[in-house]
Amino acid sequence: MTAAEGEKAAAAPTAGSSVSRPSARQAPTDLTLSFVDEATVRELAASRGDPEWLLADRLAGLRAFDALPIETNPLYTTYVDLRNAHLAGIRPVPAAGDSIAAAAAGADQRLLPEGAAAFAELGETGATALVVSPAARAEGIVLETLADFAARDPEQFRRLLDGGCTLPENDKLAQLNRALWSGGVFLYVPDGVRLERPVVIRWSVGTPGAALLSRTVISVGEDAEVSILEEQVSSEGGPEESLGQSFFAGTSEIRLGAGSNLSFAGLQDLPLRQVAFQHRSAVVGKGATLRWALAQLGSRIVRSRIDNRLEGDGATVEQAEIVFGSADQLFDLTSYTRHVGRDTTGNLLSKGALTDRSRAYMKGLATIETSAHGTDSYLGEFAMLLSKQARSVAIPSLEIDQPDCRRVAHASSVGPIDETQLFYLESRGLEREDARKFIVLGYLEPVVARVPLEAAQERLRDLLEAKWTAQTGSRPAAAVA
Amino acid sequence: MATSPEIVSSEYKFGFHDDVDYLEETKHGLTRETVEEISRIKGEPAWMLEFRLRAYEHFLSRPMPQWGGDLNQIDLDKIVYYRKPSEGEEKSWDDVPDKIKKTFERLGIPEAERKFLSGVGAQYDSEVVYHSVREELTKIGVVFMGTDEGLRQYPELFKKYFATVVPPEDNKFAALNSAVWSGGSFVYVPKGVEVPLPLQAYFRINAENTGQFERTLIIVDEGAKVHYIEGCTAPIYTTDALHAAVVEVIALPHSKVRYTTIQNWSNDVYNLVTKRAHAHAHSTVEWIDANTGSRLTMKYPSIYLRGEGATAEVISVAVAGRGQHQDTGAKAIHLAPNTRSRIISKSISKDGGRTTYRGQLKVAPGATGVVASVRCDALILDEGSRSDTYPYIDIQEDDTTMTHEATVGKISQDQVFYLMSRGLTENEATNLVVQGFLEVFTKELPMEYAIEFNRLVKLEMEGSLG
Repeated sequence: MTAAEGEKAAAAPTAGSSVSRPSARQAPTDLTLSFVDEATVRELAASRGDPEWLLADRLAGLRAFDALPIETNPLYTTYVDLRNAHLAGIRPVPAAGDSIAAAAAGADQRLLPEGAAAFAELGETGATALVVSPAARAEGIVLETLADFAARDPEQFRRLLDGGCTLPENDKLAQLNRALWSGGVFLYVPDGVRLERPVVIRWSVGTPGAALLSRTVISVGEDAEVSILEEQVSSEGGPEESLGQSFFAGTSEIRLGAGSNLSFAGLQDLPLRQVAFQHRSAVVGKGATLRWALAQLGSRIVRSRIDNRLEGDGATVEQAEIVFGSADQLFDLTSYTRHVGRDTTGNLLSKGALTDRSRAYMKGLATIETSAHGTDSYLGEFAMLLSKQARSVAIPSLEIDQPDCRRVAHASSVGPIDETQLFYLESRGLEREDARKFIVLGYLEPVVARVPLEAAQERLRDLLEAKWTAQTGSRPAAAVA
Repeated sequence: MATSPEIVSSEYKFGFHDDVDYLEETKHGLTRETVEEISRIKGEPAWMLEFRLRAYEHFLSRPMPQWGGDLNQIDLDKIVYYRKPSEGEEKSWDDVPDKIKKTFERLGIPEAERKFLSGVGAQYDSEVVYHSVREELTKIGVVFMGTDEGLRQYPELFKKYFATVVPPEDNKFAALNSAVWSGGSFVYVPKGVEVPLPLQAYFRINAENTGQFERTLIIVDEGAKVHYIEGCTAPIYTTDALHAAVVEVIALPHSKVRYTTIQNWSNDVYNLVTKRAHAHAHSTVEWIDANTGSRLTMKYPSIYLRGEGATAEVISVAVAGRGQHQDTGAKAIHLAPNTRSRIISKSISKDGGRTTYRGQLKVAPGATGVVASVRCDALILDEGSRSDTYPYIDIQEDDTTMTHEATVGKISQDQVFYLMSRGLTENEATNLVVQGFLEVFTKELPMEYAIEFNRLVKLEMEGSLG
């Protein structure tokens, strides 16, 4: 396949960015991180006082990182582009930041967002808040930093993390987190506990020149139920790229016990000078249900990978992801769904609205193993291109080894804003630009509606609207110039 | 074709083999000398030898593809890259050597010709041995001959278009073909000429270990119209054979081209083919492509929509049985405004066979107003068989309208049950459901081919159900 054709066109230098670039030409697959080596790993482990097994685990991650190419799946090698990631000067944040020494201040109940059951806030300086409501605490909910987890229950800590947890073995960037994580969160929901209020985990990052690699480990017990809102937001004001890039790589490593339910809403609104890697991997047990609602708004480059392993009979994943791109953002989103158990269900939907020179690569692969009788699998990848320079790539793929399925299908479409919808709204008295806005925001609404906290939902709507206004508002100005 | 209706066995029906004395052949394996020798035997102009050598160098430097099917079993050193079974080209059937004639008769070629053909170019191993064009076609200026002959008789036209659609650097097997190509069809349809009946070429591999590297070049001038049909069949052998063809189609403005293939190589053949068309303004190009044979086929008929208002259509069918992998698909590359494409793919895997749909739909910057659709459906008939779908959809214009749909499933038991309640056996009912599934393809074929194709599918099905 000559899918690489035309890839060069996207490499055209972007106007307006006056940042000094590395002189050597960067290939699309070049990851310019300069701090990833054994000395850094050993130093990090020593400074954190890691046990022997954890150092070994980090080194195993490092070896995998060194051995693997940036993209192991030959289906996708032509759609990788890290040329806008200039990370050579980036340095990892000092280690040992995540032990909540500031427990007294960070555990103040007043920090708890309204309506939340528990709240963790972490960033490049470590954990800044960690609160569990008394009610949630009484139910046995644990939300703590990985450093605190390691100190409290070293054996369970090892059981959950040794061997890389649920992180994919064949993924270079996931193995990077395994090698060099310096902070993280553990959430535990005991068997049978149904938490009505959501748990909020906030990553507040973006310090120029800083790299933060973290892990989030989530264990949901049998028949338990919980919803999580993960926010990835900017710690700094001002999106100017002249400050230099920053780098954040985070994970969500999830195990869902039999009959459990997890709703995970992710909101990424990092500054435009951010390079963000995300690894979300879940093992879904018998009869358990996982619901992802993910909104991607920020960052210069996002490279995200989701692994859903539907292991138990009757396991279900519902995944909805939206992208709203502007400027020269690149959203490189891969999702793997593996049907293993009987009668499992996968329902995956990606939607992109792209303005300016933004790009979305939506790569989805549903695999139905021989054991997966009675599978229902649907994969949908849709895009709306709102400018002539925007680009959408959809690769919705299927690999099927078991014909005895309820349904296996995928669909994709790309189109402009529907003229008949526009006409209808205009006939009702709306200005054309407003009509366009409502259609686009409505297109993205399915994910917004699934964000758990009302305040967070409203904030996401505001963010989308602000982003819309920013890109339409900039148009006349550009014309004048 | 004239196959006996009483054939019901699932054995490969064209799996016979004649011992033919070859006049000239190259040694096993590919070297620079082999390439030079092929060119020398053919008495080609210098530019063609240079082209072959450039392609040969590229072939050497290019790694084997790491995607698609398993190519590890191909031993490129065991292949004989050129065989010439008889002297020159025959205009009259009477002059064709008896043994070769006998093979064609068993395949029903002359009969088919009487009934249907506008012209025949049949390839026996690496050289065109038989070729005839009806008088009236010659009169209206239609050229339909072996590609070697085309190079000799129409050097300028040939040089103008040859390798402009598929350059040797396109992929490893296009480079191989470019280095050692021999035979294939050369077609030119002059301005405004509509060819009333399909042009047919019959390809045939005979000798063990023979690679087939035919090269077909079809030029359809402005406002002209033609339908070209290619059907393949080969004898069964245990040693792997390689078939690496290149087909180039140039559809000039307002022309219409349809290219139909029924690929039924025997199950030891590696079929690695590059087929591509350039569709100029307001032209229409259609690939109608079925793959039932071969051990591994990797073939993705492509259309580059280069002129405004051009239209592309691909209907692709694949059937993979025991030990087979059909890695097929289609590509539509929209490079001009207001172009349209439609891709329909149907595949069936059974008895451990594997089908893969691999497609690309691309809308380049500047190609405004594109309308495109892709539809892929796969049937998996039993456990142990496999189906994959890998579509690439890359859109870089904001007013594109593109839809893609794919489904995979097993045969509807409700339909089978209904047909059985009407008195059909399970085999008959299943066969009928499969034929219905493939009808979108079959209905595009001329009637005789449709009958032949349904018979082929039936044989394949009996193999699995017997």
